[in-house]
Amino acid sequence: MIQQDREKRRALILLQVVIYGYLLVMFLIQLRLWSQRGW
Amino acid sequence: MTIEDEPTTATTGAGGIGYDDHVEESRLAQRAADKWMIPGTVLMGTAILGVFGLPLFLRGLFLQRRAQLGGLSVRPTIVTLIGYMVMLDGALNTFGWAIDLFASHTYMSRIFLPTWGNMFDAGYFWHYNELAVGGAGAPGEKAWEVLGIFVVFPMRIAACIGFLQMKRWGHQWMIVTCWTGMLMWMGYVANMTMYADIRFTGVVFPVLGWWIYDIFYITPFVAIPYLHTVNREIFTD
Repeated sequence: MIQQDREKRRALILLQVVIYGYLLVMFLIQLRLWSQRGW
Repeated sequence: MTIEDEPTTATTGAGGIGYDDHVEESRLAQRAADKWMIPGTVLMGTAILGVFGLPLFLRGLFLQRRAQLGGLSVRPTIVTLIGYMVMLDGALNTFGWAIDLFASHTYMSRIFLPTWGNMFDAGYFWHYNELAVGGAGAPGEKAWEVLGIFVVFPMRIAACIGFLQMKRWGHQWMIVTCWTGMLMWMGYVANMTMYADIRFTGVVFPVLGWWIYDIFYITPFVAIPYLHTVNREIFTD
């Protein structure tokens, strides 16, 4: 695998981590709010 | 490039058909499969009629698979699944939101949308049909609807058509629309969280219900890594 492909793959993995991490954080914030406010 | 990325190559077999015959047969087989998958996807896109759409779609997928095994040069299965999944996402969002924006006083809207709101997302219950523009009253919701209905989803469905025809522009626009989908959902989920009090107070299944339902809408950008790593030569000009 050439260097460019390796960097592209790494960038895409990082992208996935950022996107799904962001969604997970939002979900956890909502769960926390739920536990605090008792909706 | 993996084997799945490659269009199935011709096997002339004992009959030894010519290249032009093979191309024509492949085109007809693909068309026959798409004739089932397109109506299936549109029906699923209405949500309410989804149960009727799925068998049609699966029938088309079966026909395509059979043609592939028969040695015809049909679309790779992964391209078919991604293309129709993103098209379905565009259709589902367009129908649902267009009804809320333009037909919020119809019986169908007044039954389904506040019921959905009562169960999962009070953005579709709180002051429903009470603001200057009817339908959902949650802060920011109408702005997302306008963005989705007029910009993102039509672009997405057009991209799917090109992508399923394996055109180069279809591949490029599929990348664009998957990125816009990601931007949209990052913004929308932030909005949900900021106004969580409005959206989840008093609903039957707060937070979990919304996430379980909406995760399927959120995820089409899982295609981004595939789109960036597939051999783009398989998409023609």
